[in-house]
Amino acid sequence: MIRTLALSALVATLAITSVSATEDMSKWLRPSEIPQPKNNKLTPERIELGKLLYFDTRLSSSGEVSCATCHHPKRGWTDEKPTAKAVGVDGRVGPRNSPVVLNTAYQNRQFWDGRARTLEQQALGPIEADVEMNMPLDVLLPKLRKIKGYVELFEKAYPGEGITEKTLAKAIASFERTVVSTESPFDKYAKGDKYAISDKAKEGFELFAGKAGCINCHDGFNFTDGSFHNIGLHDGELQGKELGRYLVKMRAAWYGVMKTPTLRDVAKSFPYFHDGSVKTLEEATAICAGGGRFEHNVKNKSLSIVDRHLTKEEIDKVVAFMHTLTGPDMDLTIPTKFPQ
Amino acid sequence: MKKILLVAVLAVSTLFSADHVIDQKGKTFIPHEITVAVGDTLTFKNSDPFAHNAYTDDEANEFDIGMQSPGTNASVTIKAAGTFSVECAIHPNMLLEVTAK
Ligand code: HEC
Ligand code: HEC
Ligand SMILES: [Cu+2]
Repeated sequence: MIRTLALSALVATLAITSVSATEDMSKWLRPSEIPQPKNNKLTPERIELGKLLYFDTRLSSSGEVSCATCHHPKRGWTDEKPTAKAVGVDGRVGPRNSPVVLNTAYQNRQFWDGRARTLEQQALGPIEADVEMNMPLDVLLPKLRKIKGYVELFEKAYPGEGITEKTLAKAIASFERTVVSTESPFDKYAKGDKYAISDKAKEGFELFAGKAGCINCHDGFNFTDGSFHNIGLHDGELQGKELGRYLVKMRAAWYGVMKTPTLRDVAKSFPYFHDGSVKTLEEATAICAGGGRFEHNVKNKSLSIVDRHLTKEEIDKVVAFMHTLTGPDMDLTIPTKFPQ
Repeated sequence: MKKILLVAVLAVSTLFSADHVIDQKGKTFIPHEITVAVGDTLTFKNSDPFAHNAYTDDEANEFDIGMQSPGTNASVTIKAAGTFSVECAIHPNMLLEVTAK
């Protein structure tokens, strides 16, 4: 009798541990739904139209640049050529590194400094920016209205609304919302397949969520909690160079802060950081876990960016873990023919 | 006499003004909705192992606690009636809706 009791107690504890183990991992699982605004629900017509616009170089003044130039699917949705700073029309170099478009549907602040909220608000910026596509909307919209193929596709996607700033932004945003992560080895591991990742990567995950402190900011399924930090990439006073979110509003806490980027597919999207100054994940990890690039005299550095005393082996493990966040390329046919 | 009355009123109002503790835990404000009276205080407690920074840009009740270290408390007094939201400058997903009467 006592034995059965003890045994059932044991079974009960086992059950509890395995439940809590899966519970612990659930926050890392990709959501099954893509969030959509009420006034721009996803439809196949909107997604298809947005995809054509996304890859169409006629949206730029030189006829050579599209969104994909700086956010290409083959490069984890960052610059097609691995440049530190984004390169737009006529080789013009912008001030920042191109972030990835992957999983932006789940973000409620866009850009490194969070200055736009929705993908709709974001989409028209790069078209007009002189260092990106350099195409004023009062030139682009009449141009698109003359392309019969686009007139028909806009009519199907947004019946009766025509080709306007609004429908252009909505269509591009609809395509972007479908750019979400595929199932990575880490996802299989999180779902219970113990052999999906190496022991080294498992130890790296433990460090990531523990001693290395990455989870303070790179938290949740998208490996970002959407938070803003100054991680000490620049020494001392920034002197107007990279003020980050401080440019949006001069709030003390926003001095030199940037948005925490996703780490999904991060192995594909080098170079790293808002200034593209780092080429490898090892170096990026050493900076984030080592108290920043400069340990002294960095104004407003995050309290979570401190020296975590990681050994080289431990950094390698964290990097091995980050490699398990790489999923297969999304099932996507890049358009080669565009509406005429 | 007038002075005495004023002092008495002040005493009564401090007596009745309440302090409401808002915990910052797991990158959320707990509670995330609260009804308070003008003159009450909100005490922000940081139970997370990293910094928070509660603020509001509401004109009548504007405040900015600044970078708040783990394990500390910081208080603000409600100045005017109205509804407004408090955000965290570090974690924009944190939201607290305040109704002040
Ligand atoms: C010349 C390169 C370039 C082109 C072309 C370009 N972008 Fe970007 N994109 C950038 C850079 C650089 C940033 C970051 C700017 C900043 O934060 O200040 C950015 C930011 C973004 C973001 C925000 C991502 C995030 O995580 O915050 C989205 C979404 C985006 N671009 C979509 C687009 C779309 C859609 C197009 C086409 C209409 C486009 N981009 C064209 C370089 C480019
Ligand atoms: C205090 C919050 C915080 C912590 C802790 C943190 N990071 Fe970051 N991480 C950021 C921010 C913010 C950026 C972008 C900074 C910038 O470009 O100015 C970033 C950028 C990165 C990048 C570059 C990604 C890209 O697309 O450019 C990698 C890789 C990275 N972090 C890995 C890590 C690892 C590994 C750890 C743990 C050792 C860690 N981070 C800890 C906030 C944090
Ligand atoms: Cu916070």
